[in-house]
Amino acid sequence: MSTPAEIEQGIERLLQKAPYSVDSEQRHRALLDLLKKELAYACEKNTRFRNFVEHWPADFRDAERIADLPYLPVGVFKSNPPLALVSADHVARTLTSSATTGQTPSRIVLDTATARRMSKGVITIVRDFVGPSRRPYLVVDTPENLAAQTQLGARGAAIQALRSFATEIVCCLGSGQRGNSDPNFSGLNEEKLLACAAKWKDTEVLVYGFTYVIWTELVQPLLRRGVTLNLPNVRVLHSGGWKRLEQQAVTRDVFIDGVAALFGCGPDRIVDYYGMVENVGVIYPDCDQGNKHVPNFAEVIVRDPLTLAPVRAGERGLIQVCSVLPTSFPGFLLLTEDMAEVIGYGDCSCGRKGISFRFSGRAPKAEVRGCGNLDSTRYQPTQWGGVV
Amino acid sequence: MSELIQVVDSAQEISGAARRLREIGRLKEIHPQVVLDIFEQWAAALDDRELRKVSGMTFLRLWLRRGNLEPLLLRELGSGVLNGGWWEDGRARLRAFPLGVVGHWPAGNVEIQPILSMTCALLGGNCCLVRVPSGLVCTMQRVMEKLEQVDSKGVMTERIFMASFDHSRTDLHESMAQTVDGAIIWGGEEAVTQVRRLQFPHWARILVFGPRVSAGAMDAATWGDRVERASWCRRIARDVWQFDQQACSSPQTLFLERGEGCDPSEFVEDLREAFDEENRHHPRQQIEPGMTSAISLVRASWLLESEKNRALFPASPDWTILLGENADMPKPTQGRTLTVLVVDDLLKAISKFDGTLQTLGLGVADPEREEAIAKLAGRSGVDRIVKLGRMHVFSSPWDGTELIRPMVRLVRHVASQT
Repeated sequence: MSTPAEIEQGIERLLQKAPYSVDSEQRHRALLDLLKKELAYACEKNTRFRNFVEHWPADFRDAERIADLPYLPVGVFKSNPPLALVSADHVARTLTSSATTGQTPSRIVLDTATARRMSKGVITIVRDFVGPSRRPYLVVDTPENLAAQTQLGARGAAIQALRSFATEIVCCLGSGQRGNSDPNFSGLNEEKLLACAAKWKDTEVLVYGFTYVIWTELVQPLLRRGVTLNLPNVRVLHSGGWKRLEQQAVTRDVFIDGVAALFGCGPDRIVDYYGMVENVGVIYPDCDQGNKHVPNFAEVIVRDPLTLAPVRAGERGLIQVCSVLPTSFPGFLLLTEDMAEVIGYGDCSCGRKGISFRFSGRAPKAEVRGCGNLDSTRYQPTQWGGVV
Repeated sequence: MSELIQVVDSAQEISGAARRLREIGRLKEIHPQVVLDIFEQWAAALDDRELRKVSGMTFLRLWLRRGNLEPLLLRELGSGVLNGGWWEDGRARLRAFPLGVVGHWPAGNVEIQPILSMTCALLGGNCCLVRVPSGLVCTMQRVMEKLEQVDSKGVMTERIFMASFDHSRTDLHESMAQTVDGAIIWGGEEAVTQVRRLQFPHWARILVFGPRVSAGAMDAATWGDRVERASWCRRIARDVWQFDQQACSSPQTLFLERGEGCDPSEFVEDLREAFDEENRHHPRQQIEPGMTSAISLVRASWLLESEKNRALFPASPDWTILLGENADMPKPTQGRTLTVLVVDDLLKAISKFDGTLQTLGLGVADPEREEAIAKLAGRSGVDRIVKLGRMHVFSSPWDGTELIRPMVRLVRHVASQT
């Protein structure tokens, strides 16, 4: 069964508008209506998901707020086989999250329609921040991440999402191990990079890379040797979190100063965004006020960990992302393991409407405490397979 | 801050304190009756409005009563212990002597544990060097102030040194280990392993409690009894709520034996009411965001795993009941999450226990069946088998071992002239 036409049309209507233009109340009504339809559709398509929804403390059909709809924690997408609303023969692509060593990555299945909406969602958002024009696209990563693949990691997905802005694409890192800082990269192709920089000197250029990749593979090695690129019209988008750089005591300010010095651009040309593969088609770039905003086709709810109720402005909590874009997996309403502070529920002085928030890091994993902390069995390791 | 809890920053402070404690222990014997008297007064002093809010305080007050500790002493150290002298043992005599200085490494998640641990060693006449986890310093300070009030001559407080230092200060842990004659260690696998790795003197006796989990089990005649069921559910809720389900004796799973005409859905509805009620009386004051995520994840994962699985939970992370059919215990989540598993045969489920299970809380109507369950549970590694609602009642033996005797030397004297 394909996605009902009224869902398709509802999504398209939201995608066609300027992404931050609809006022909160109107957007809330439209999203609530559409999300209820999507939940009903998902319940029809997946009996296990229906089991989850039916056990939610309140019936979603009666909900008057998006905050009252049943939401899944993102951790459920680590299951195998992946949680899906389409059969395997309709899966066009599987996205995987960038899990750290030893962790299981999330796996997200996309059908053609969801993949198309994903691209459209990201393009709509990025266009609002960097403008609509096509320009040279410098990828601070390896060419492998540009290849069409049925299994795509978070970096590859982020890189490919921006290709429609490109007149030409250049990847400045080589792949394979060569004993440098990250075993995934064999180092910077400096000759190619400098040639491009000379060629693109006066033009608008789009640059994308994971935050720690930009720092460790590009900025640090070049600045250490006093090399700069002289690309004042660049727009540097980066994502992927700060954890690795925080471990190296690299703050946001140090990062921005370093990137700006390398490209010879103003700090306002460097845009950090928050996103995750499970929240397909939605990214949250920082506006010029340093806040993150939500496009028309999505919503963010920040929940108090003690009550799971939405927090007030000025308070911190767990981020729940909501999006109407996916129909191939039940990723409409997802509780993340990340924390944010709500800056306000009114409009931001940057002009964007709706909630503004700031990302404040990953919630530390809860340890099973004290005597309950069992990592191994005592007598018979073959028994109790469920206990780890 | 009371002098009894010292913020320690150097190994010398610890070794100095241990030296003083050892000297006091050698010079001043303390009669068991004196210990029991002071503990009795301490229990009364702890009946304080503010301290009543401390998790486990009611239990601690009962624990410290003479009526509780005297039988414990008699059972572990023999009938002669209360007169403080020797007692006959055939043609010989026996007398309990303290080991000397006992080091205590309590877990950070059970507020009254430093006191429970310490009292076991004090009852044996030992002096105590206690590492107080940083999260428990304020509570311990208030509890120890009450001891100071009742112990005006300082005969008990002079035998105690409570040290507060960061858990990462290996040098201070090391110093503590090197100066003790015995150690009582509590906590999770990582904490216990780290402390056990320290260089204790070769003569030191080490007593380890943890890591373990616990479960409950009920036969159909008990959980299917519509009259008594609500009362059983209240007992279970109490066991789940105490120590915020983080103690080794906290039930994580409840096995229900299938029975003719007994509906598990009715049972979990009663359990829901009991959990709601318990939550009204003892709401959470705070939670780690990671625990909220873990609770949300286990709720969803359980329901997505099988259409047959059921779950009851409020919109908040306050409590969770997961209902399913399986004899394998799932990984514990804690956070007031109880997995209720319906099984065909309790004995079969218990036979799968592997030694990680510390306490089995029971609700079994037929004494013969309970006898069979207890025997099998014992053989399957369970150390405590108690009635549901009494899973946290700290008593000897605990984790299959006595509490006072391991920190005592029983000296045997055969008179030379006989």
